Amino acid sequence: MTAAPLAELVGRVTKVAEEHVREADETAAFPVQALDELRATGLLGLLVPAEDGGLGGSLADVLETSTELGRVDMSVAMIFAMHCQQVAAVLAHAEGRLRAELLPEIAAGRLYLGSVTTEAGKGGHLLTAESAAAWSEGELLVDRFAPVVTGGNHADGFLITLRAPDAEADNQVSLVYAARDQLEIERAGGWQPLGMRASDSGALRLRGRLPAHQVVGRHGDFHTIVTTVFGPLAHLGWASCWLGTAAGALSRVIASLRGSRGKTDLSSELLMTRLSRARQRLDTVHALIGHARHVVETTADLSVPKVQLLINAVKITAAEECYRAVDELVDAVGMRHGYLRDSPTRLEQSLRDLRSAVLNYSNDRLHLADGRLTLLDQEVRFA
Amino acid sequence: MDPRMAELLTPFLKFLNGRELGPDDSLRERGLDSMQSINVLFEIEDVFGVSLPDEDITDATFATPATLWTAVSAQLERQGVSS
Repeated sequence: MTAAPLAELVGRVTKVAEEHVREADETAAFPVQALDELRATGLLGLLVPAEDGGLGGSLADVLETSTELGRVDMSVAMIFAMHCQQVAAVLAHAEGRLRAELLPEIAAGRLYLGSVTTEAGKGGHLLTAESAAAWSEGELLVDRFAPVVTGGNHADGFLITLRAPDAEADNQVSLVYAARDQLEIERAGGWQPLGMRASDSGALRLRGRLPAHQVVGRHGDFHTIVTTVFGPLAHLGWASCWLGTAAGALSRVIASLRGSRGKTDLSSELLMTRLSRARQRLDTVHALIGHARHVVETTADLSVPKVQLLINAVKITAAEECYRAVDELVDAVGMRHGYLRDSPTRLEQSLRDLRSAVLNYSNDRLHLADGRLTLLDQEVRFA
Repeated sequence: MDPRMAELLTPFLKFLNGRELGPDDSLRERGLDSMQSINVLFEIEDVFGVSLPDEDITDATFATPATLWTAVSAQLERQGVSS
């Protein structure tokens, strides 16, 4: 990397995020200042190769950055991680003219990419689509409702899943790019959630006509993008954000305990056990993410059940363990430091934010897929 | 390709719409859901008497009738089962 060291760039963003984290949570406002800093630092182009003007970062860099941002604000971290997931799809599957149009914009920090994959009634299921793209005089017609679009009111462009034009099967899904100014975007609902309040992930209706070349990969072949990029990047990316949020919470609890020595009984066995448990959960998630990253980086065919199971296990485990760690920390420090909104530990917000983790592509749904995958792997070998 | 291959796959292909299944047709486009893979494996075991090894359970193996047949016939040869 030719720019400033990654930690320095990330530090600039976390500093800004820190200043606005309380207000963004209270007002459910999108963290525009942190996004501006992500643009200015070049971090929106972290994955774009240096020869295309980006920072040339690796998957490890994306995950590390997601964790660091998550320590301060889980909404900012998720916004970043999901943008990187979209960028990875463009890098791996967009070709020719579309690639040439998008990469310089992403590298320059002018293109924050939102993701439109949810549809009413399918619960975030990625591999089917009800809304179909249609051809009209050589252009792609898009008319799509999406119940959850993170950052939808602030994204400069979107990657949108649609049933492939002329497809008979609902599992022939295409991924298309649409710039914001190519779409008519209508807010189709508010955003007043329990947590993740700054992610501004309300429902949108998108309509537009797109030039035919704005398809990422082949029509109907979104499945390949999910296996090679979307799945691994989503699960490892989200898990890294959640790990960061729980780690930030633990860190603030430790600071609070050390700061109040003399007043807090640090010989309490109950407190020690709870701290240990929280830490153990985070070490488990950290190790799992690192191992899965290594497998993703070194395995040619990620469609093998044992690899799919590992990638899903990262998501399921991180969602459960990071939430539990923070929940236990609330018990560890009690009502005043653990439950009150204005406590410097910010456990209250961390807990609300992390409550979304099991729902963000539901663990229940992943367990259904994993049950089938488990049956396919009779020898029970591990990736 | 053994004609029984296409025969055993047909019930899983909800978008075949009465057409004949060709060896190089995309099983996904004809409606095979990856969640049905286990049922296809059971059919293969019943019809051909072989099971596919875990490392063969990939998207590439389940791409077309021909690719699936390649995997099945390799097991028929290895396991010495007379089809």
